[in-house]
Amino acid sequence: MILVIDALNRDRFQSVIDDMFRLRARVFRDRMGWEVAVHDGREFDLFDNLDPVYLVALDDAYNVIGCNRMLQTTGPHMLTDVFQDILCGEPPLRSATVWENTRFCIDTERLKRPDSTRSVSSTACELMAGIAEYAYESGLTDVISVVDPAMDRILKRCDNAPYGYLGKTVQMGKTKALAALSDITEERIARIRAFGEITGNIFADEDEVAEALAAQVTDDMLPPYLLDYCNEQIAAASTLHEKDAALRLKAALVEKVRSRSDMRA
Amino acid sequence: MNRRIDLIDLATTPEPQRDYVGHLSRLCDTLGVEHASYFAANPISGKMHGFTTYPEEWKSHYVAHRLQEVDPTLNSASRSVAPVDWKRLKRDPNYDRVFKDANDFKLPFQGVTVPIRGMFGEVGLLCACSSATDEEWTKLRRNIIGSLLNNAVHLHDTVMNSDPLLKTLSHPKLSNREIEILQWVAAGKSQQDIGDILAISSRTVEVHLRSTREKLCTISTAQAVGRGVSLGLIHPG
Repeated sequence: MILVIDALNRDRFQSVIDDMFRLRARVFRDRMGWEVAVHDGREFDLFDNLDPVYLVALDDAYNVIGCNRMLQTTGPHMLTDVFQDILCGEPPLRSATVWENTRFCIDTERLKRPDSTRSVSSTACELMAGIAEYAYESGLTDVISVVDPAMDRILKRCDNAPYGYLGKTVQMGKTKALAALSDITEERIARIRAFGEITGNIFADEDEVAEALAAQVTDDMLPPYLLDYCNEQIAAASTLHEKDAALRLKAALVEKVRSRSDMRA
Repeated sequence: MNRRIDLIDLATTPEPQRDYVGHLSRLCDTLGVEHASYFAANPISGKMHGFTTYPEEWKSHYVAHRLQEVDPTLNSASRSVAPVDWKRLKRDPNYDRVFKDANDFKLPFQGVTVPIRGMFGEVGLLCACSSATDEEWTKLRRNIIGSLLNNAVHLHDTVMNSDPLLKTLSHPKLSNREIEILQWVAAGKSQQDIGDILAISSRTVEVHLRSTREKLCTISTAQAVGRGVSLGLIHPG
């Protein structure tokens, strides 16, 4: 399933964001050798501070198995800056109906484990369908994706071939990077869905995910007195807003405990 | 699939005569929504720009109660990348505060805010609302969302360019590819021809032209050619 996280709901999904940044460190620094900044095992840059929208692929146990980051091309984005080489120093495209995709990746290590219930290609298809459908709902006509040649091949293999490329392919770390153009049309969505044998809604309900995440980790991670307190607050909430606040408090406490135990490990 | 792209021109009117509220009213008529508003802060002077088709009584109430400081259709929505359907804001602690009042004024609660991020990190917001039922609204929103995006950026760029300093700073930066394509258009070539000449797909040509129109703040490609010539970016014909 695909979870959409942006500035409006980000505080509900701190643990997902954290896992996504760790996945990005493994993929972009460790595997691809890109010169990305990694802090404490997490890869994030200044574009993550610009309130981008993330599409995160989750497995049935809500583990992060893939992600993608989107920004408008009317404002600051990566092709105006870090990926300038791809455009040979030329100014980038600017259009309200064209967005930029960056940091598209899949957790191949986790998906290749024997106990994994999902495959690399089905996850890639689901994430690609998610991007196309979310972009379509948002009124876009096209997207520019900064990818490496391996990801470009995956796009083509999944019947999601770009219709064009911008600038040139440049060396980046152990691999290369290029900017691919894809139209956002019902036809493309249908092709990806047919290839990936995807039927029905692929987007996660954010309330369900938030509640499942809160239930999943807390009970064994929080000290009993904090757990009792949090659960009392959730049970005593009389409005949607209060319940939300109580769930957020619990999630924030879990996150604190989790990152502390992480540092000890 | 039927996605309309209606774009209402604004930039061709000389600045002192620009009637932004009239422009928003025409936009409402064209798109079939009840009210529309545009808000942005000038990134340099900090001056607020706000235009709306809402009735006077609501405007006075809104300002008197300083609702702009809490209104989630502006504050929360301005941090989104995608257009925000107002349904998504129901969780916002300030939702009831604004929407209960709006309801007293019999204003619609269905709506969408389209955030446009500008080059200087500023955000322009185009809001549109409607009294349609849930189902009708979902359909209408889907149908007009592309138009809203295009109109939002056009309106935003026009408002920002009305500031002399910002206009100077935002001198259009076309890529060589965009200039090359615009020059071929000026020479009378079709999109398909240009694609063949440059060995790129005709959709790539289209994306470059769309970007060029937006950078030059024009609606049509013909206007973009005119502006390109006047700025000395291309030769006439």
